[in-house]
Amino acid sequence: MSKDPKRMTNTRHRPDENFEPYEPHRRIPWPLIAFAGALGLWGAATLLDSRQDVAAEQAERLVADNLKTGQNSEPGSTLFAARCATCHQPDGMGVRAAIPPLSGSPFVAQGPELIAKILLRGIDGPIRVNNHVFDGHMPSFASTLTDSEIGELASHVARHFGESSQTLSATEVASLRGPAGEDSSFKGGAEIAATSGFSLGDQPAFVSVSAGSLAPEISSLVFSGRGEQWACASCHGDLGQGKETTPRLAGLPADYIVKQLDDFAQGRRLNESMRMVVNTLSDSEKRKLAEYYADLRVPSNARPELGGNLARGEELALRGDWSRNVPSCFSCHGPSGFGVAPEFPALAAQHAAYTTNQLSAWAGGHRKNSSLALMERISSELGDADRRAVADYLASLPPVPAGTSEKTASIGDQP
Amino acid sequence: MNRYLPLSILALAILAFATLLLVIAPGIQISRHAAPPGLKPYTEQELRGRDVYVSLGCVYCHSQQPRSPDQAPDGVRGWGRPAIAADYTYDAPHQLGTMRTGPDLLNVGARLPSRDWHLAHLYQPRAIFDWSIMPSYPFLFQRKDSAGPEDVAVSMPAAFAPESGVIVAKQDALDLVAYLLSLDRTYPAPANALRDDGYSQPVEP
Amino acid sequence: MMVMGLLLALSFVVSLLALAFLIWAISNRQIALDEQAAKVIFSAGEEGKLDSPDKEFADDRRHYFDIAASGIDRISGRPVAVLLIAATFWLVLGSVFGVIASLKLHWPDWLSAYAPLTFGRVRTLHLNLVIYGWLSQMGIASMIWILPRIFRTPLRSPQLTVVGAIIWNIAVALGALAIARGWTDGEEWLEIPWQLDMLLAFAGVFFIVPLIRTTSAREVHHIYVSGWYFLAGILWFPCLFVIANLPVIHSGVEEATVNWWFAHNVLGLWLTPIGVGTAYYFIPKIIGKPVYSYSVSLLGFWGLALFYSQVGIHHLIGGPVPTWVVTLSVVHSVMMFIPVIAVAINQHVLVGRNLWALKESLPLRFISFGAVMYTMASFQGSIEALRSVNTVVHFTHYTVGHAHLGAYAFVSIVMFGAAYHMLPRMTGRAFQWPALINAHFWLIVVGFAIYFFSLSIGGVLQGLAMLDATRPFSESVTVTLPYLEARSLGGTLMTLGHIIFAINVASILVPRRVSAIVSMEPAE
Repeated sequence: MSKDPKRMTNTRHRPDENFEPYEPHRRIPWPLIAFAGALGLWGAATLLDSRQDVAAEQAERLVADNLKTGQNSEPGSTLFAARCATCHQPDGMGVRAAIPPLSGSPFVAQGPELIAKILLRGIDGPIRVNNHVFDGHMPSFASTLTDSEIGELASHVARHFGESSQTLSATEVASLRGPAGEDSSFKGGAEIAATSGFSLGDQPAFVSVSAGSLAPEISSLVFSGRGEQWACASCHGDLGQGKETTPRLAGLPADYIVKQLDDFAQGRRLNESMRMVVNTLSDSEKRKLAEYYADLRVPSNARPELGGNLARGEELALRGDWSRNVPSCFSCHGPSGFGVAPEFPALAAQHAAYTTNQLSAWAGGHRKNSSLALMERISSELGDADRRAVADYLASLPPVPAGTSEKTASIGDQP
Repeated sequence: MNRYLPLSILALAILAFATLLLVIAPGIQISRHAAPPGLKPYTEQELRGRDVYVSLGCVYCHSQQPRSPDQAPDGVRGWGRPAIAADYTYDAPHQLGTMRTGPDLLNVGARLPSRDWHLAHLYQPRAIFDWSIMPSYPFLFQRKDSAGPEDVAVSMPAAFAPESGVIVAKQDALDLVAYLLSLDRTYPAPANALRDDGYSQPVEP
Repeated sequence: MMVMGLLLALSFVVSLLALAFLIWAISNRQIALDEQAAKVIFSAGEEGKLDSPDKEFADDRRHYFDIAASGIDRISGRPVAVLLIAATFWLVLGSVFGVIASLKLHWPDWLSAYAPLTFGRVRTLHLNLVIYGWLSQMGIASMIWILPRIFRTPLRSPQLTVVGAIIWNIAVALGALAIARGWTDGEEWLEIPWQLDMLLAFAGVFFIVPLIRTTSAREVHHIYVSGWYFLAGILWFPCLFVIANLPVIHSGVEEATVNWWFAHNVLGLWLTPIGVGTAYYFIPKIIGKPVYSYSVSLLGFWGLALFYSQVGIHHLIGGPVPTWVVTLSVVHSVMMFIPVIAVAINQHVLVGRNLWALKESLPLRFISFGAVMYTMASFQGSIEALRSVNTVVHFTHYTVGHAHLGAYAFVSIVMFGAAYHMLPRMTGRAFQWPALINAHFWLIVVGFAIYFFSLSIGGVLQGLAMLDATRPFSESVTVTLPYLEARSLGGTLMTLGHIIFAINVASILVPRRVSAIVSMEPAE
């Protein structure tokens, strides 16, 4: 249709209305044929190539599966070096006045079964090993080691540091586990001696420190919420264990929790939901909630889930990476990542997604509550891969043992 | 071309070939994988809630298929491990989604297991996230003068609360939230799981 | 896995060889036959008013046919008009729903009190109305116009097509009501409940039968390229539609592969044939000269069939489907360069050599613009399917922009052009206000440019924000807001263009009181 009717009469082109389209016979231009051939080759090569990726990923999933089910267990010596040596030392001599020795210990001499029980339940309370009394906390590995790993480890320790030649199988370990998650810790060496009937030396009496009963208004905050403030447990779990990017609260230092709640309120730490929650909390409520969670002792439900390189993660946690000015995590966050109040939270058994999420938040500049901007700088130096590696490693660690805030990381007394 | 019948037959044969490759073969492969032990079938309430999810068209903004850490930081955002085919055994229709105007929801029940949070968020997303463009769903709730004994009340900050009375969740809202809370696929994936592994990268220090 | 990769590569190589052989075989037989074929019906004694300088075509009488004398358009006219009117109605309504959906993305509390207007339903209404209501019907109208012409014989059983149109529109209307009320099958492109889909499929039979009957009764030996696309399309679409909509048999991830096998093949094996077939007819028709080459059109058609049919799973890249089927779709998506370049050679070269035609013919402007957009959209799609690109743009608004580049800028705009070409010939009248056609054109071109560029840029920014773990998810939302607002502006301009289109359609279909039947301008 011409825009301008006048022009139509002058137009030079008046194609015939009766022309019907057809296709003339001309060759396909050779560049098109060449291009088609090249693409065809590329396509065939790509299709052939894709099988390698699948094999690699399946191998990774196999490893993750085995970590969970414990079908391939490393030798006891490797497990010891990875899990125990940082506290008990590679030679099993312990740390004077802080961590009991394994070498020559009457507990170890009793054989792998007692060792396995200790690994499963942990110890809270004073314990005498030979001439020294120690009053720290042995964590429970029930939720971080599989039955076959505990069997391997216990057998190794009994053999290497004791005189035993027994080995403990995975099924035997399984039978030692109590109902899931309800194994409470040994109340010091006294309970071990009493329940096992072994002669373990003169064990100090266990003085129970009452944790103080939970005030009903705090319990109500935790489990029922109040108005727009949703119950803590509704997101963080009835046991304070958390999941994915909702953190585990159980075992975090009380002062640290209080500081975080204040930081949410002030916007130094950004989380829209937490901001709504802290709006209506008084300072005394914050303190009491923090103490509740600090004293909670629950198994870990965290595990490596981001495909991070666990060996690299362990290296970062224990030794850091000084080529990038990254100190080891434990140098501030405490041995085994159990935390140091109020600045340094427990990292052990924290969910990998949460840890990486927070590290990324520091690197991205939208979490700004670390003293001296330490975490901002450390996290920026770590790349995505390292953040995932260290988060996965930390998730694999045993959870913080219980105890009131004052009693964590205290030093033992001489008898 | 001059002959209609061969043209038609060939065209349909090509489509059949494509169907074999894109639908039948993967379908057979997928059907050989049983539901993982960690995956439970939906309860009746969760199924009702899923119907609400489908009928409101949540899938047009929310995906349900977290990707591999080798490809994208979906796991870091708390969206969960890479999804595998068997995760969707009980899903009909699938709600895999193709848009992330909002976050992936396959594991929302793991990272946000709070019923009350979800009720508040559905009623008015901007009460929690001021940057959110998610629609509000006031028609899933009703205003009442006071909450009855069976009612689930939703508290709103003053700016979004009604002049008087309380907001109470209707059954659809409760069912929908039950479905959302059931979205937890964090159990481990078996080694031979089916998913697109084309982004695989070697684990390097 | 090794066996799988090898098998895939082999089947792919076999497809390529088959394609090459096919083209060679058919080309060779064709050449022989054509030289012998002298049987073409044309009216005795009619001479073309040709004064084209191209001598090559001046004396070739085989390609001239007096349509008007044959009465073909008179018979096709009624079904085409019915379909066109219905399609235009759904276009306007569907566009309005599209604008509402777009506005809701940055005014989230607007109209939020009513469940039928929630974003998840309005967006679905938009998609289903424009695909099933507007494009499908307009496409069938185009087939009803073109196929009898290229076969030089009137449409058989035209009344059946009108019955089909009535049933189809009832089904679409019922489908819309269902979706508004939340009764949906829950998958993209398949939302209309299967119970109502049966009505659509039933209506489809009423379109297919007349077209096949016309084909069987054709007076020419050779099927022109538009015919291949249309005839294949009307077989492909029902198969896709029925299989994908079958209740009960699909579930889980297998249902997702069916979903995307369907949705992408609707684009490639239904809408693309509609658009490409229409452009293949009207571009040379309006210009008065043929497309470039028969062999190239063969490559384009069979390449589309072979490659396009297997690209569907590129919607699930990185998803919970076996790796091999994703890689297969990625490879085939890239292979699509070949048929798309072939079609581009045939269509764009012809226009490029005859730019005068764009100045003189408004319908050609629409159609050629649309044809170029097909090339652009396909290139973009091939690139978007590469895993590295897909990681950035998957799940973002970028894909929405791409979808509209194909379904709107290509197919819909070609359909507008076709409508503007057919209407004067159907009615024997001229458009009263040609300026409105121009206004329509510029509104949709400018509107779509805003739409496409804003979503593409916004989508990439959104994707990059999501990929950066150090940026919170909220940033992927806030960074796209200005682009979503721009998209609303673009979409509004497009909708205004559609309203003008509707006015134009109405103005020419309604007989004027003063008898102003202008003699039709040739080749407009």
